[in-house]
Amino acid sequence: MVTKRKAATSSKSANKNNKNAATKRSARSALSVGTNTRRTAKERIAALAEAPLAVCESDKDLQAMLNVLRNQDEPVEVRLAALKSLQAASFSVIAFESCRGDYLATLRQVAEDPNPELRQRALGLLARKKDGFAQKKLLEGLKNPDKALVPPEKALQLLSYDVHAEAYSAARAIVNKPPNDDARREALRLLAADASAAPLFEKLLLDKNELREIRQIAASALHALKPEKLQEHAREILLDKSDYDDIKATSLTALTQFGDEALGKDKALLKSVDRFSVGKALSKYKQSARRFLSKYGQ
Amino acid sequence: MQNATTVSAQSEPQFAALVDAIAADPDRRGQLTDLLREDHPFYHERGAATIVRMRGWVLLAIARTGVSDAALIFVLEELDTGIDAYLVAAAARALRSYPHPTENLAPFVMRALATIRYRDEPVSFENYGEYAVSSTGTTPVRELLATLAWLGPHARGVLRELESLRARSSGLPRKLRIDIDRAVQAIRGADQVEELGSDTCCTPPGGPRNTAYWPLNSRCGVETIEAAVFEDHQGDLVTFKEFFRGQPSIVVFFYTRCGNPMKCSLTVTKLARIQKLLEAQGLADRIHTAAITYDPAFDLPERLHVYGRDRGVRMNARHRLLRATDGMDLLCAHFKLGVNFIESLVNRHRVEAYILDVEGRVAVSFERIHLDEQQIVTRAIEVLKEKESCSRIRAQRID
Repeated sequence: MVTKRKAATSSKSANKNNKNAATKRSARSALSVGTNTRRTAKERIAALAEAPLAVCESDKDLQAMLNVLRNQDEPVEVRLAALKSLQAASFSVIAFESCRGDYLATLRQVAEDPNPELRQRALGLLARKKDGFAQKKLLEGLKNPDKALVPPEKALQLLSYDVHAEAYSAARAIVNKPPNDDARREALRLLAADASAAPLFEKLLLDKNELREIRQIAASALHALKPEKLQEHAREILLDKSDYDDIKATSLTALTQFGDEALGKDKALLKSVDRFSVGKALSKYKQSARRFLSKYGQ
Repeated sequence: MQNATTVSAQSEPQFAALVDAIAADPDRRGQLTDLLREDHPFYHERGAATIVRMRGWVLLAIARTGVSDAALIFVLEELDTGIDAYLVAAAARALRSYPHPTENLAPFVMRALATIRYRDEPVSFENYGEYAVSSTGTTPVRELLATLAWLGPHARGVLRELESLRARSSGLPRKLRIDIDRAVQAIRGADQVEELGSDTCCTPPGGPRNTAYWPLNSRCGVETIEAAVFEDHQGDLVTFKEFFRGQPSIVVFFYTRCGNPMKCSLTVTKLARIQKLLEAQGLADRIHTAAITYDPAFDLPERLHVYGRDRGVRMNARHRLLRATDGMDLLCAHFKLGVNFIESLVNRHRVEAYILDVEGRVAVSFERIHLDEQQIVTRAIEVLKEKESCSRIRAQRID
């Protein structure tokens, strides 16, 4: 019996090994197709999608893949496929350990590539790793638009991955003199982690002429930075029939989380929230209202 | 020291030129160590990545001129808690210029290797602020392996650990095999092993100094900070005097947005372990503990509470997580904190813990390298006994 079980186990493990070996073999052959310049772009893109497992198998394979990525003579779509494949491979942190250095160095090269999409993708990957090189380039671009590698709104978005990225003053400058609406919005999103920006968000929240999206960002930011300030204004927002549902929902969350028992005695407020909970608002907003009522309502 | 505003307004190239000038002048080299202090005005209002470039350049200057005993703690700190590839590589290189390689340096190098191996990346030491865009240069792992080779037989305590890095499955990448082999060979250095014996003759007494003790009569007063108001994890207000006077306290500093798991998160986790040790000895009611945030504008009570809870910190009236409601200036001055800021956000800080005596004065400080929970509790008990012996003396005088 024991012998049978052993045999079964060993056959299972042999099958598994064979399967793994076969997968690796096919990944390697995919990689050789993907890096072969004589194949069509379509064939190469399809092959590169299957290659991540083989990327770190040998230094030669890795270098071939990195060459595709950095070679400006290669078709852009093939280079993007190589980048995608490398990115997928990098998720296996341990297997990718030997490739990491070359990969990062190549990403830094591609971050200044003439192709804007590749540039943006490479900067995005580096920024997520809080890479100092990428942050420096992005900040330089915000201060000097002639040097910008990506549009300002994208630069701000990428810098916001790292709260320590020294981006607050650049974001403030953009809020004061925005090159476009998207850049202003992203600058405000970034400043939502800056404790000293609370007065700015309070002003934006109370400005009914402000864009709805901006007021929503302001409400969320205030909720995170100075919840007591949002509470102060939440009641007025909830009583105002003309205000937006999403801003009301954020106000409700603030009151539900941080409000005191006196709210249960505020009949006008309760009535208004009750109306909101059964009105035309989206169900997720109505849910916020119900949560509030279950805490403070009768 | 130069005027703080002038200093912080200097550009990075100006700073780099200054560092080079100091390094070139044998009479001023001691100032390089001073430039590694986190609270140096040079680091005021700079971003974290800028500070990495600046400190890295100082470490590289020290690597050229030689690490002094005073600078050693900064180098070891980077190896112990650093997670930035450039700084760890620079520190590893700097350590090789220390004139007294000893066996107690090896664990720092090995710890750095374990931390940085999955963050390894090419670094460039050629010019100030340069980032590597090819993998031909050095990396922190390569620098650390070279430092182990430099330590030679002094690193025999970590030899087994190093050899395990050659393993196929869990080891370092194949391309580093030559560097590992070189280090292993140097450590084995068979002929010298027997001669080494105890090699602590040239180490600063007690190893690298991360602890300072102030005798009773030399402690700074608390007049300037007594009235400082804190808000705790529950939103309750308490003054410095109310919380810290009347019994000894163990105080650590942290902030919830710290991105280095080897610093704040670990420090607060260790505070939880310290609390357990105090509890086991029946001292949880006689010695207070506090974790004070460097980032009071952002670390509101709710955030403090969740951060402490997630790390197993016991929180009640005697054990609190605190934020200073009037900002950090008073605290920085009183504790001489190793921290700097860009606006209200921390841009760099050291690991630091303090034991306050019964008057709230700093009696013992622990800084930069890993906090030993048992050591902190032992020293806190000594400070507690100070209180008892003082009371006894006072009672005898009355008799």
